[in-house]
Order: sequence, then structure tokens, then C-alpha cells
Amino acid sequence: MSAPQIPNLLASRGGPRSRGGRGRGRGGGSTHTTQNRKDLDIQSTDTDAAVSRLSAVSLGYINDPYAAYFVNGAGTRRLPIINRGTYTRTTALDILINAFLSESNDTPPQKRQIISLGAGTDTRYFRLRAQNKHRNLIYHEFDFPTVCTTKSRIVSSNEALSKGDGNATMFVEPTKPTEPDSDPEPEWGFRARDGESETIYCCHPLDLRRLPYSPSMKELNSFHGIQSDIPTLLISECCLCYLEVDNARDVVKWFANRIPSLGIILYEPIGVDSPFGQMMVANLAARNITMPTVKVYKNLRDQKDRLSEMGFTDSDGGQGGETIERIWDQWVSSEEKERVDSLEGLDEVEEWQMLARHYAVVWGWRGSSGWESWKELL
Amino acid sequence: MSDLDRYKLHPATFLELKLRMNYQHRAIAQLRACRPIPEAQVRELCHKARELLIEEGNVVTVTAPVTICGDIHGQFHDLMELFRVGGDVPDTNYLFMGDFVDRGFYSLESFLLLLCLKVRYPDRMTLIRGNHESRQITTVYGFYDECLRKYGSANVWRYCCEVFDYLALGAIVLGASTSLGESKGLMPEKSSSTQPDDEGIEIELLNHTGGVIDRFPRGQARNGARSSPSTKSSSSPAAKTGPPGTAASGYSRGSVGNTSGAVLCVHGGLSPLIDGIDKIRLLDRKQEVPHDGAMCDLLWSDPDEIDGWGLSPRGAGFLFGADIVKVFNHANDLSMIARAHQLVMEGFKEMFDNSIVTVWSAPNYCYRCGNIAAILELSEDGSGESMLARSNGEVNRSDGGVMKPSDRVLLAGPARRYRVFQAAPQDSRGMPAKKPVADYFL
Repeated sequence: MSAPQIPNLLASRGGPRSRGGRGRGRGGGSTHTTQNRKDLDIQSTDTDAAVSRLSAVSLGYINDPYAAYFVNGAGTRRLPIINRGTYTRTTALDILINAFLSESNDTPPQKRQIISLGAGTDTRYFRLRAQNKHRNLIYHEFDFPTVCTTKSRIVSSNEALSKGDGNATMFVEPTKPTEPDSDPEPEWGFRARDGESETIYCCHPLDLRRLPYSPSMKELNSFHGIQSDIPTLLISECCLCYLEVDNARDVVKWFANRIPSLGIILYEPIGVDSPFGQMMVANLAARNITMPTVKVYKNLRDQKDRLSEMGFTDSDGGQGGETIERIWDQWVSSEEKERVDSLEGLDEVEEWQMLARHYAVVWGWRGSSGWESWKELL
Repeated sequence: MSDLDRYKLHPATFLELKLRMNYQHRAIAQLRACRPIPEAQVRELCHKARELLIEEGNVVTVTAPVTICGDIHGQFHDLMELFRVGGDVPDTNYLFMGDFVDRGFYSLESFLLLLCLKVRYPDRMTLIRGNHESRQITTVYGFYDECLRKYGSANVWRYCCEVFDYLALGAIVLGASTSLGESKGLMPEKSSSTQPDDEGIEIELLNHTGGVIDRFPRGQARNGARSSPSTKSSSSPAAKTGPPGTAASGYSRGSVGNTSGAVLCVHGGLSPLIDGIDKIRLLDRKQEVPHDGAMCDLLWSDPDEIDGWGLSPRGAGFLFGADIVKVFNHANDLSMIARAHQLVMEGFKEMFDNSIVTVWSAPNYCYRCGNIAAILELSEDGSGESMLARSNGEVNRSDGGVMKPSDRVLLAGPARRYRVFQAAPQDSRGMPAKKPVADYFL
């Protein structure tokens, strides 16, 4: 097993080893250590993403004043194809999420909810807040306890992150001691300062794999502030792909069984059978990272069938999917392409096409109202 | 008779030569072990290389036999694999079509080794410039950072960039045979002394051990070269490499064993500003690669399935179609253009009725792409007339480059032996190699 080239900065800040295993109830001895090691390797992918994001921000691909807070040091410059990929991925998610939120302009404003799985160091909530798109939004994030704790530390120690829009206050909600297998780290977030003190952002420390099977997490209200009666969007940006196939499906179903008006965005690799895809699997395996879902959902069709299986069908909603290559070609305007191309120049056209056609964004929804603007996207 | 007597050298000069050879020998050995040489030695090497390259024209004339290689991109261990498969220097003559640096982790060692070999065996090594042999590109794609990391300063990068400015822009291979000949590369053990049907073969495809994957006799017309020919079921020992992106030529004429038309080698491709090879010779090449113009196009353009010229998605150079290639080849007595620049998963790809080939020599490019690599061997014609006088670009130009159908007589293509190979195992031959980790979106 090789150590990941880039150390998990968050994990080292949070001191994962000192806290490893407490309350996990997951076997003991060497199995535990191996599993813990693997978890750390998966958490390291978030550091990868944070470094890539900062690279794209520093070079002007995307605008994210918060990216730097989540990377130790000045960061690493990524190659142009990686920067373009980060840009395209971010743009795709922005378009889908902004469309979802745009319906909040209706009167009376409809409250909406986003649940980001494996959010890690993602700064999306803070960016939405800066764009004033958070007014009628409840934003949840789930990730490993160590990741959530470290994120809490970074947010509370940086005013730009913690101060909010002046109308929110940071809270820390200790986990109830009565729950024996709950993670010891507290939930934390922001709640409105005025009147009802409603939760507007909450980070839930949880090993997501346990969600469908834990007796103490039968109800939605096991988690602070999650509502069942408003249109809700689940986001998995390279998160569920690290879970076993059944486990990943059960996580989505857990939410689907409790929230009637639900949408989902999945961003993950596809095309694992091509030489590029095989090399990707081998290279990631060398980092001790496996993606069980990519071996099953090999193309856009498979991914869409997967959504259907989880209840996101045309009969009760809809679905869509594109490769990153197509999103760059079709969704990015020519002026914007020109701007992005001028930032670094991109020599490696064939490599870009190959890389970009091995990642896909698929999305689906079910429920009668709240998804009109997604219908228009198709 | 000693060398001293043979060359009638002054003893002092002889001693100096001896020392210099010794020093070069040591530098080559050190670089072959993938260890950088000291900065002072790099400086001297680059200085010598410049003195040598400045004497070369923009288009170097090379005579067959020669092995033509595409992009290397700092994949040092794969370059070693290339030499193992294709034969070592100086036994095999090599022509590298640029892009020695960037992307891989060992641009420095790869380029300096090639440069050392060039200085040591100037007539057996030909290096031409790729679009990555540029100050601007290397600051983005890795070579600059690598030099800084390995030497703590940008001096070595600067010396190398000065060499880049002197690299030739193209090469023309003369005297290639229309039939396959001997090779210094790995060959299978033959049961009989010669394979009787060697003569009629236009394209031979060998795997990394020299085993025959496929052979295509001349005249087996398969037009539409983009489609892969069906692999002969009986002869696919390395099916994993797949069929080549090519087919034997339906255009090539000429009888077996003759000298073929010349082959132009250039990193990228053609330019709308260049209608003849002599126009390339007139360029002032000793400069950073410009953002546009003929010199830029030669290093940046790509062939594509279009008519005429098109805009390149790379933002530099142009796309050019089959008609452009055929007119250019005809006007310049070329049977073929060999170029690199584009990743092709099969290692090589012939297009436009075999009038142009892309050769790609970086297997598993960027440790990520999963592609195989190829090199292209052209044999000598054996007639001893490889140096026959040619008038490149001077023939049949009175028609202004417009070709009448009746003129459409292409010169016989050379017999091509492609060797394909995969990435070297990272720890092969005791090379110190850190585990490369490719970037993905995670």
C-alpha cells in the first residue's frame, strides 16, 4: 500500500488517529486499522479536490474566495486539463443548483433544502451565501466526523466564513449521549439570529455507510434541522462512488423514503472498461482507493437506469445526464469558452476529450412541484 | 594502428578528444541511470549542442535506415523501453520528432540524455522541435518546475530553452526502401534465415519483443485508412495491442525494393503559409516558438477529416485535410508525412490513404491514458544510392500546386515497420522511480 502523494491536510489538522475508532462499533484489531487507513485514503480525495479547486481559482477559472481557507499553504498548480475539468464540473453543478434554487423567486417563497453527501471542504454553501441565494435555503452536509470537525475549526477561525451575512450565528449541537453508536463529534452550523432561530446550515458528522443500517438513525429528526416537507436536492460529487453498490443505493433510498419531493445530482467517473478507465482504476487502487459503483454503472445509460431504480423516473419526475465533455461543448457559452481558453491555453486536446468523457453528471427528480426549472433544462 | 596514427592527430588534441569522449561517456551513463548531471555539465552540453545544431538546416536531411519516434514527454523509463525495443544508439539511427519534455516526471533526464546522444553521435541522432520545446509551454506543463525542483534554480531550464531555439523544424528522410530490410531492433528468432515474403510487405507490425502482430502486403488496397483492418486471426500474438489504425496502401505503386519517395518529418503538420519544403528552409527558426505564422503551424497543426484548412481547437496552428496533404506531397515529391503531436491510443495512425502518419511514443501517456506507443522503422534501399540527388520542392510546381486528376501519381510509399510497446514497469531494471500518481477529479 502506498501512501497518498498528497497528505490529507484536513486529517492531519484534525488529528484523526487520536480519535480513530471511538464509538464506531466496527470490529477491532487489524481489520479496524485497515478500514481506518482506507477511510483516510478516501478522505484524501477531498484534499485532492480542494487543491484542484484552489488551482482553478488562482488561475481565474472559477471565482471562489473561500477555496484558500481549506488548503494548507499556497496550493499546487494543476495542469490545464484538470483546471478545465474542475471548471466544467463546477459549472455543471452551478447550473443545476441555480436552476433548482431559482424557483425560490416564486411568491410566496418556497423553502428548499440541499443535502450534500461527502461534502468535505466544499465551499458551495458559502458561495451561495455570498450570492445571496441562501435566503430560502436549508443546507446540510454529511461527511466523516474528523472532516466535519476540522471544517468547523476552519470556519470558526476565519471571519469571512463564520460571520455569515450578519443575520446568522454559529452553533454547536452536542450529540445526545443516549445514543451508543453515534459519532462523538457534534453537529454544527448556522442558525438564524432572529426570532425562530431556524437552522440554515448544518454539518452532520457521520460515516454515511452506517446511515441505512443504524437503529438510532431511523428518523429524519435524528439529524438536526433536516425537513421532510420541502423540495430537497441530494448532491453526491464523487462521494457515493466510494461506497459499495448496495450501500450507496441504500443511502439514497434512506432519504427517498423520508422526503417525498426529492432530486439528486451524481457526479462520478464512467467508462471504466476503456484503456483509460482501466488505468484509472489501477492508479486509484495504487492509492488504496476503489470505486465500486463505477464497475457497475459503466456509462450514462447505466447511470440513468440507476436513478430509475432509485425512483427517479420519468413517470413521477425526470432525469438527465451528460458527460463532462458534452457539458463543456454544449453548456459553456462560446464567450466563456474563449475566456477560459485564454487563461492558460490548452494544448492537450485529445487528452482532455478522453478525460472529460470519463466523467458524468447525472440528475433526476421525483415529486410534482419544485422541479419545473429542471424540466426546462432537458 | 592506433587512433593517433590513423587520424594523424597531434597528441595534445588526441588527449583532449579522449578526455572529452570519456566525459561524454560518463554523462551518458549517468543519464541512462536516470540521474541528472551537474549544472556545469548541463551548461557545457547545451553549449556543444547549440554549436552542432546551428550548423543544421531548418530541414535536416536524413538517410534511411532510420527509426522515427513521436512524443516522449519526460517518460524516461519508457524512453529506455523504446531503446530496448528499437535497438540502442548508435546501432540504430533515431529521429525524434519533438516534445521531449513536459508532463512526465523525468523531462530533464530524458532531454539531456537525447541531447548527450546527439552530441556523441550527431549523424545517428536527429532531434527536431516540438511545440513543448518552448519557454512558454514548459512553464505551464512541468519542465520549468522540474528544473527548479532538481537544481534549485532556473539556470538549467534556461540552458535547455536556448537549445530548443536551435532545434531543426523538420527532417526529410531519403533513401527509404519500398521493402522491409534488416533491423537492429528486437526481432523474433526466425526459423529460416530469411522470411521469403519480406519483399512484398508494405506494413509490418511488431510487438515489444519483436514478434509479428500483423503484416500487410503492398497493393492490398484498403482505402479509407481510418478503419482498422481485420486482424489476421492466425497472427495475433499480442492481441492486446489491437489492430493498427492503418491499412496497406491502395495508392502506393512502384516495384518492390526500390527507393521510395521522401518522407517529411515534422512535429505538428502543415501550414497554409508553406507550400513547399524550401519555404521551411527560409524561415528564421532561432527564436521562441511564435504564437502564429509558419513556424508555429509546423509545430502545432493537426490533420483532420475536413476539406482544406480549419481552425484548430488548440488555439494555435491549423487543421488540414486530405486534399492539403496530397497536394503538398505531390508538389514536394513526398510519399508520406510522418508527424507526432497527437495522442493515438494504438501508438500510430495512418490517414488519408497512407499519405500521413501520426507516431506517438509515450505509452500510458501521463501515467493515465492507457495507450500503447509506437516507433516507425524505415529501411535503407540497399542500392547504395540513398544519397541520390533530389530536388525537394522544385518539381512540378508550375501548376501552382493545383493537381489535375491525371497528375495524381503518388510516389511509392516506403515499407513501414511499426513496433508497438507498452509502458515500462515502474521499477524495471532497478531504476529509481517514485510511484507516479496521475491526477483525477475526486
